[in-house]
Amino acid sequence: MKRITKTTTILLPVMFITLSWAQPEFTASQILERVDSVVNAPQDQTMNMKLILFDKNGNEREREIVMYQKGGDKRMGKILAPADQRGIAFLSLPGGVMYVYLPAFKKTRRIASHVKNTKFAGTDFTYEDMEAGAYGIKYVPEILKHEGSDHVLKLTPRPEIQSEYSMLKLWVDEKTFVPTKIEHYDKGKKLCKLMTRDKIEETSGYWLARESEMSDLRNGQKTKMIIQDVQFNQGLADDLFTERHLER
Amino acid sequence: MFAGFSKWVIEQRKYLILGALIITLVSGYFIRSIKVNPDFTSYLPKSDPVVRLFDHIGEEYGGNLLALIALEADDIFDAGVIRDIDRITRGLKTISGVSYVTSITNILDIRSDADGIEVSRLIDEYDLPETNEELDELKEYALAKEMYRGRLISEDATATLIICRLQPDADEAAIAQQIKTMIGQSAVSGQVYFGGMPFMMQDVSNMIIDDLKLLLPLVALLTALILYLGFRSPRGVLLPLIAVGISTTWTIGLMCALCVPVSLVSNIIPVILFAVGSAYSIHVISRLDEDPSAGDTSSSPTQPAAYLSGVILPVILAAFTTMVGFLSFVFGSYLTTIREFGIFATLGVFFSCIISITLVPALASYMKPKKQRKRNGPDERTRGRVISKITAATLKHPLLTLALSLVLIVIALLGVPRIERNVDILDYFKPGTEVRRAENLMKEKFGGSTPVQILVKGDILEPEVLMAMKRFQEFLESHADISHAQSVADLVEEMSFVVGEGRAIPGSRAKIANLWFLLEGEEIVTQMVNPQMNEAIIQATVGSSLQTDRVKVIVDGINEYIAENNTTEYSFEQTGMPSIHYRLDENIKQSLVSSIVLATTAVFITVLLLLRSLRGGLIGLVPIAFSLLGIFGFMGILRIPLDIATVLVGGVSIGIGIDYSIHFLGRFRREQARMGNTRDALQQTLQTTGRAISINVIAVTAGFLVLLLANLVPLQRFGILVAITMLASGYGALLMLPAIIILTKPVFGGRNNNSINEVHIKRSAK
Repeated sequence: MKRITKTTTILLPVMFITLSWAQPEFTASQILERVDSVVNAPQDQTMNMKLILFDKNGNEREREIVMYQKGGDKRMGKILAPADQRGIAFLSLPGGVMYVYLPAFKKTRRIASHVKNTKFAGTDFTYEDMEAGAYGIKYVPEILKHEGSDHVLKLTPRPEIQSEYSMLKLWVDEKTFVPTKIEHYDKGKKLCKLMTRDKIEETSGYWLARESEMSDLRNGQKTKMIIQDVQFNQGLADDLFTERHLER
Repeated sequence: MFAGFSKWVIEQRKYLILGALIITLVSGYFIRSIKVNPDFTSYLPKSDPVVRLFDHIGEEYGGNLLALIALEADDIFDAGVIRDIDRITRGLKTISGVSYVTSITNILDIRSDADGIEVSRLIDEYDLPETNEELDELKEYALAKEMYRGRLISEDATATLIICRLQPDADEAAIAQQIKTMIGQSAVSGQVYFGGMPFMMQDVSNMIIDDLKLLLPLVALLTALILYLGFRSPRGVLLPLIAVGISTTWTIGLMCALCVPVSLVSNIIPVILFAVGSAYSIHVISRLDEDPSAGDTSSSPTQPAAYLSGVILPVILAAFTTMVGFLSFVFGSYLTTIREFGIFATLGVFFSCIISITLVPALASYMKPKKQRKRNGPDERTRGRVISKITAATLKHPLLTLALSLVLIVIALLGVPRIERNVDILDYFKPGTEVRRAENLMKEKFGGSTPVQILVKGDILEPEVLMAMKRFQEFLESHADISHAQSVADLVEEMSFVVGEGRAIPGSRAKIANLWFLLEGEEIVTQMVNPQMNEAIIQATVGSSLQTDRVKVIVDGINEYIAENNTTEYSFEQTGMPSIHYRLDENIKQSLVSSIVLATTAVFITVLLLLRSLRGGLIGLVPIAFSLLGIFGFMGILRIPLDIATVLVGGVSIGIGIDYSIHFLGRFRREQARMGNTRDALQQTLQTTGRAISINVIAVTAGFLVLLLANLVPLQRFGILVAITMLASGYGALLMLPAIIILTKPVFGGRNNNSINEVHIKRSAK
C-alpha cells in the first residue's frame, strides 16, 4: 500500500504535466486528418526522383524516375535511368488498376497488383507503402505519446483493410503535421521496416520531405528516395493518366 | 625414480582427493552450459573453397539451409488444408532466424489472361479458396505448372511442401525445435513430416544427448559388474569408474568453459575415455592388489608407494603414446571437428593418466582390496585355470597360435577392400525413424531434400548467360539422381510467355531488362540472383542418398561440365551438400591415413626408446597392427562404413593396442631381467599384467556392447568397433606377443633397478 502511494505521488504530477502538454486541442483522429490534408494538399505534382537502392553490403544502384500525380490516387511514372530500363512506364489508377509499358516489346500490359507486399521496382517500398490515399481511411489512430516536437500515433489497420502490417507508429511534426518517421510492424508484431523522412521543407506553399529512406530491417537493405525537382498544380490533364499516354 | 612421487601421493592423499573434488565441481558447473554443434558443414575449415562458396551463397541469398515441412493429406486442395498451410506459413515467418518461407499460399505466380498479366501469388492469402469450384480450378491450374508440380505439390496432390530458408548464422537445431513446437501447437489436418538438414541436425543433437545420458550409465553398470568379477573388491569396481567419470567431466567441462561445442565427432570422447582411461586405473589397482598389506591404512605408506611406483612409468608411457595417437588427429587432419576431437581426447587421456596415478591410489589407500588372496580360492582357481590354460597353450604351441592369427589376418585382409565410405547424415538414423520416414516421403513425392547449388557469375541480364544457365539446368536434370533444377532463367521464360513472346529467353538484353522490372524485388527472386545482377544460383535437388560413390559421380560429373562450359562471359562453380560431403569424405580418408601413419611412427619410436631394442619396437607394433587389421576387416565384412565417427576407431585402436604392448613388454622386460628365463618371465607377465589386460578387455568389451542399443547409428557402430578393437588388441597382446617372444626369444636391454623388484625379492626372501 505504501509503495502504491509513493508511486502515485511521483507519477501523478508527471502524468499531469505530460497530459497538459501532449494534449493540446487535438484528438488522434484530428491529428491524422491534418496529416492527410497536408500530404494530399496539392492538386497535382510532377517530381523528378532519384531512387538509391542499397543492398546489405552497402552496394548502391540508382534509378531515376519522373512521376506525375494527380489527386491522391492517379499516378504515372517513367523510368529515365538506368539505360536498360529507360522508357518503362507505369500507370496506377484508382481501384488498384495498373498498367506497365515495356518499350523493348512495345507492349502495354495490365498488371494485377492485388498483392500489397510486392516490392515496387526492386526498392524497399511495397505497393502498399507507395499507395497514396488517406491514412484516416485505412487506419484507426491512437495517441501513444509526445516526443520532442512530434506527436506519436499508433495506427492499426481497419478490419476491412488488407495490410501486411499489424501496426504502424507514426511520428508527426506538431506544427506542420508532416510525418517525420514511420515504424512498420509485421504480423508477428515485430518492427520490420523503418521509414525516415528528412529535409522537410516548404516548397510553393506545400510541405514536402525531400529525402526519405525506407530500411528493411529483416534483410538489411534500404532505399533512399530523393526528390530532385518538384512542381505543383500545373493542371495535369486526365489524359496523361491513360494507357495510351504510357507509350509516348 | 617414481618412489618419491608415490610416497608423496600417499602422504598428500587428502589434499589430492579434495583438489580433484573441487576441479570436478567446477567442471560440472561449466557442463551445465553444454552446446551441441551438429552442423557438419562447419566441420570443414571456413577457408575451404567449397565451404567458402557455400557460405557465400548462404549470405547472399538468404541462407542455404532448408527446413522442409511436408503436409500429407487425402487432397491438399481442401479448404481446411489450405487454411492450415496459410496459417503455418504466416507463423513460420515470425520465427527469428527464418529468412524466407515459401509455400503454395505465398508462392509467386505469373499468369496472363485476356486483360493482361498478373504477377501475384498462386493463392491470395487474403482471399483463400473456399468453394469446390475454386479449389478444383486451383488444383488444375497448379498441377499444370511445372513451377509447382513435383516441387511444392506432389503430382498426386496428396502432399505439399512448406520451405523455410534459415539465415546463415542461425542456430539450426533451435529453430527446428521452434518450428516443431509451433506446428505441434496448431491443430493441423493431415500428417506432418519434417525433413531437411536443420531437422536432421536437431534430431541428431537430441539423440547424442539422450544416448549418452541413457547408455553411459548402462555401460558403467555392466563394466562395473565385470570389474567386480575381476577384482572382487569395491575399489576394483569403483575406482576405474570414478577415474573415467572424473576425467570425462574435466574434459567436457573444459570444452564447455572454452565454448567449444560438442560435435558429432567429439561426442565420442566420453566413450573413448571409458575404453582407454579405465585401463590406467585397472593397471594401477591390479598392481596395488599385489601388495599384501594393501588397505591397511594404519601401516606406513612406504609399502603401497613402493608397489605404486612400479606401475607409474608404464601408465605414463601408455598414456603418452595414446596421447600421441590422438594428437596425430590434430596435425593429421584437415577437418576442424576432428582436430578438436584430437585436442580434447588428448587432454582427456592426460587427465585420465594423472587421475589414475594420483587420485586412484589416494582413494585406494582408504579402501580394502579383495579379500586376502587365498592361493586356492575358488574364483582365483577358475580364472587362473582359464588364463593358464590359454597361456600354457600359447606357450606350448606358439606356431599354432601364429597360424591361427595368420588365418584371422587373411580373413581381415579380405574384408578391408570391401569397406564403404559414407558421410551421409541420413545414415545416422535407424530405418523407420521419423527422419527416415520424412526423407522417404520427400524422395518419393518431391525428388529429395538435398540441395545442390551452382553459382553463376556473369551479366545475368544477358540472353547468352540465361541461355547457358538453362542448358546447365537441362544437363543437371539429365542426371538420374538430380531433379527440379531451377533458376531465374525459368522466371524470365515464364515472364516472356505471359507478355506473349513464347516460353523462351528473349533474344535481347533490353527485353530481359524490361521483364526484369516486373520481377525485381520478389522474394523468390532475391533467393536466386544478387542485387547487382552479376551473380545468380541454379538450385536442384539430389534424390539419392549421399553415399560416397554416388556423390562422387554427381560432383565429378558437374565439375566436368563446368570445366567444359565456362567461358570468359560467364562461369559456373559448384557447391551444396554433395560437394560438402565429397570434401568431407576426401578429408576423412586423408585424416585416417595420415593419423595412422603419424601415430604408428610415434608409437614405434616410443617403444623403441622404452625397450631400447629395434626388435622390441617391431614386436610392440604387433597388437596395433593386428587390431587395426581386425577393425578394418570387420568393417568391410559387416559393411560398417567409414564415416566421420568410425574414422576415429583407427586412432583409438592404436591408443589401446600400444597400451597393451607397453604394459606387457614393460613387465616382461622386468621379469626377464629378474628371472632370466623367457618362459618363466612370460608366465609371470601373463599372470600379473596379463590379468589386468584381460580384465580390461572383458570389462570394456562387454560395456561397449551396450552401445548397440544406441539410437544414433554411429554410436552403435562405434560401440561394436571399440569392442572389436579391445578383443583384437587383447588377442594381439595376450596371445600373439607371447608366441612371437617364445619363437624369437628377444632380450630387451637395460638394467633393471626398479624398486618393485626389490619388493618381490623381499617377499620371496620372506
